[in-house]
Amino acid sequence: MSETAVEKQSFATYKKNNTIEEGDNVVMYLSKENMSIIRVKDGEYFNCKFGNYKHSDMIGLEYGTKLGSNTGRGFLFLLYPTPELWTLVLPHRTQILYIADISFVMNYLNLKPGMSMIESGTGSGSFSHSIARTLAPHGHLYSFEYHQERVNAAKKEFEEHGLSDLVTLRCRDVCKDGFDLENKVDAVFLDLPAPWEAVASAKKAFKQNKVGKICTFSPCIEQISRTVTALTEQGFVDIQMYECLIRFNEIRVIPMWTIDEAMEKQRAVEKKRKRAAPRVVRDDNNNNTQDEESSSGHINKSIKVEPSVDDSNLSSAAATPSSTTESEMEDSVSTTVSTPVIGSETTASASEAEPRERIEPKNVVVTRLPAEQRGHTSYLMFATFTPATQGPSLTETKAAAAAASSSSAPAK
Amino acid sequence: MAALNPTDIINAGEHVFIKMPSDNVKCIVLKAGSSVSLGKFGTFKANDIIGHAWGNSYEIYDRDSKTRVYHPEGISEVEETANNNREIVDDPTSQKLTLDDIKALKSEGLKGELTGEEIVNKLKESHTTFDKKTAYSQAKYLQKKGKKFHKVFTPIKPTAYSVNEYFYVKNPSKIRDIRMDTLSQLLSYSNVHSGCKLLVVDDTQGMIVSALAERMGGKGTILGLYDGDNPHYDIVKYMNFNQETLDTIKVLSWLRIHRPADEKTPDEMQDVTQLTGKDLEGYHRRLKAYNIVEESRKVLFEGNFDALIVASQYQPESILEKLLPYVAGSRPVIVYHGTKEALLETSTWMRKCPDLLAPQLTESWLRKSQVLPGRTHPEMSTWGTGGSLLTATKVIDQPVQAALTKRERLAMEKKNAEAKKLKRAREEAESATSSPAPVTAAAAVGDVADEAVEGVEEGTTAATMTDGDHESRSIKRAKQE
Ligand SMILES: C[S@@+](CC[C@H](N)C(=O)[O-])C[C@H]1O[C@@H](n2cnc3c(N)ncnc32)[C@H](O)[C@@H]1O
Repeated sequence: MSETAVEKQSFATYKKNNTIEEGDNVVMYLSKENMSIIRVKDGEYFNCKFGNYKHSDMIGLEYGTKLGSNTGRGFLFLLYPTPELWTLVLPHRTQILYIADISFVMNYLNLKPGMSMIESGTGSGSFSHSIARTLAPHGHLYSFEYHQERVNAAKKEFEEHGLSDLVTLRCRDVCKDGFDLENKVDAVFLDLPAPWEAVASAKKAFKQNKVGKICTFSPCIEQISRTVTALTEQGFVDIQMYECLIRFNEIRVIPMWTIDEAMEKQRAVEKKRKRAAPRVVRDDNNNNTQDEESSSGHINKSIKVEPSVDDSNLSSAAATPSSTTESEMEDSVSTTVSTPVIGSETTASASEAEPRERIEPKNVVVTRLPAEQRGHTSYLMFATFTPATQGPSLTETKAAAAAASSSSAPAK
Repeated sequence: MAALNPTDIINAGEHVFIKMPSDNVKCIVLKAGSSVSLGKFGTFKANDIIGHAWGNSYEIYDRDSKTRVYHPEGISEVEETANNNREIVDDPTSQKLTLDDIKALKSEGLKGELTGEEIVNKLKESHTTFDKKTAYSQAKYLQKKGKKFHKVFTPIKPTAYSVNEYFYVKNPSKIRDIRMDTLSQLLSYSNVHSGCKLLVVDDTQGMIVSALAERMGGKGTILGLYDGDNPHYDIVKYMNFNQETLDTIKVLSWLRIHRPADEKTPDEMQDVTQLTGKDLEGYHRRLKAYNIVEESRKVLFEGNFDALIVASQYQPESILEKLLPYVAGSRPVIVYHGTKEALLETSTWMRKCPDLLAPQLTESWLRKSQVLPGRTHPEMSTWGTGGSLLTATKVIDQPVQAALTKRERLAMEKKNAEAKKLKRAREEAESATSSPAPVTAAAAVGDVADEAVEGVEEGTTAATMTDGDHESRSIKRAKQE
């Protein structure tokens, strides 16, 4: 459609015009758990259960725009695909790394623009995207994966995400055949079942005359042991191990009534019951309200206050003592009383005449950790390559020392 | 050999962290030709390490403070022996050397007549029950003594990580308790990269600005807003940034954001053609200062920032309200605070702010373990608080068209409820069979989970409401709080 030049998108940076164009990847944000990624193509639709969205309607919009579906029944947000979002929407071909580990590893390895790095295996490319972004524009990622289909899929993604220039992807068994890189990189990251088998080759890949850092990612402590031995054997130093987790808090607004306010409301309710005469005393009134309660979910909600649902008028409407039923609820919302006066008939009757004012409880904001927090993921083990690390491994040295009588000249 | 960058080498005049055998870290400015004293561990000559690559450890080995590269022999696997602790009793006499003997050894060590290893060996030999110790406690003994007598030090290159760790351990309140893992997450959430444009309010003495600048590698702009007379970015100086990187950091005082009506340009104040000598110098000084402020204002008012990052002692909402308009669409907004509680009100405020999507309040947990072959265990002391992050995405709110009739809406709600049930059932079936769900997804459960399903309802509300309504509502709300 558009004849004008389109600014090519890359996940490693933003577009200058910040505008959605044909061929762009765009994250469709419906909710935190309902996100997907599309490539914009004139004539196509994005369909979901809240309606459909014409790609052509997106073209020309600024990233971040809220877009209504063409039935007007829902909306979504059009987000720019960052490496962080990619981790949340990517198709899983393997287990992947998430932000807690990704960010800590990048910081510890001191990744920054211009650096070169090895990563293996590529897996689903979750980490690769973050690395590429951080090394860009002049750095380079060498990514290794021995599973041919995963290589093909990742290669296609790197191309479609404008990362091809930053990433070299090789299909290779790095444990058996090594990285085939010498004196090339500043950092190495191994997410492999047997990282210790790749340590010797990794050592050669480091730039030999400067400091470098390696990290291995392993779920089991047994793997850690074997890797420590391999790293020590190869002369890496400063071996450290970390575990890192992120706790995501749920935020709730809990309304807190004073007991006086609660009683005031109760009184108002009783008064109303009396006025509403015939229904009041009958037992089935109770049943009635109960039915109402169970049939419409939101009543329940407003009583218990599920404040993590960010419905702006919810918190104010919410929250009466949990014994109250809906009709009472509504009543309480409109009950007067500027200052709660205990047991005064006059207040209640005055309220009939005067404009009604809400009783607003004091709101307390609290956090809760969601019931199901994911626990431990993996151990991150770090070690440092130093210019003194180069040279023979420990066993080689010992063998040599045994052969000749050792004499080590002080290095300058 | 790969060509070395200046940043790969220890240069004179730079800040250097010196890690000592005790694991304490000392920060020095490395002056060419100077001697650096490490207290009881001895003294070394700055020139011995200047010009060398980072990363090596050095041993001070004689009385002239000579140093040589030290590479540890590698920590060997602990070999199990039949020993156990049964026969070991607490006995001060098990060490046959007297306190004076040890003092003598120490001073010989200081003079450089004995190496650390030799001292430790002497101690070991005169320890009567050493052989009876378990292999584990032997190793521990040697390690402990090694820390005391080895004269090995390691110059550590200041990086966002090492500087952060240094201050987090030494003086966490200086950097408002931001810990390495929290800072890492801030960097990831901010999507900082070469060439981006960031708006920052940093009261962590510049810890955050430093980390961001490092990730930008000299390309792009950080605009830091500050209060008081000067920006307090003390941490920046520890980073050994080159000029190119320093130039990416711009600052602007909150008081100077808007040009006061009575502010005059230096040219309005003085006629430059009439000035000479001191007056002319003064004029140029003022002009320079004026231009810096003007430039920063321009950067701010051009807007389109790629992230807004706030780590302030002031109420975050009051800052967000002012600065959000300058942030581009689909960009991260991040608030850091040392305590989670301080961010609670802000998160409810954010939730009501139509320009922000999906606020999320997180804390990080970090554990370090000792790893030695066969001796891996968590470290005794774990860290306290590391701060808390509140993150959201700037969006462009606009009314969505076509409100539904009540009937349509009810029908839709019913349909949604069913779809929701189905989805739950499907998810349950899925989670029963598949591998663990991703951390992030699981963590978000329940939070905005229902947003999409309720999107219908919200959509309708939004449709009937103008932007103005939204705004006044959120502002009113903000004022109440
Ligand atoms: C857990 S995945 C890596 C996930 C990745 N870090 C991410 O964030 O998406 C591990 C990958 O390593 C690959 N792999 C295992 N052994 C390998 C080897 N010896 N050489 C190359 N790749 C290997 C597997 O095929 C798998 O795709």
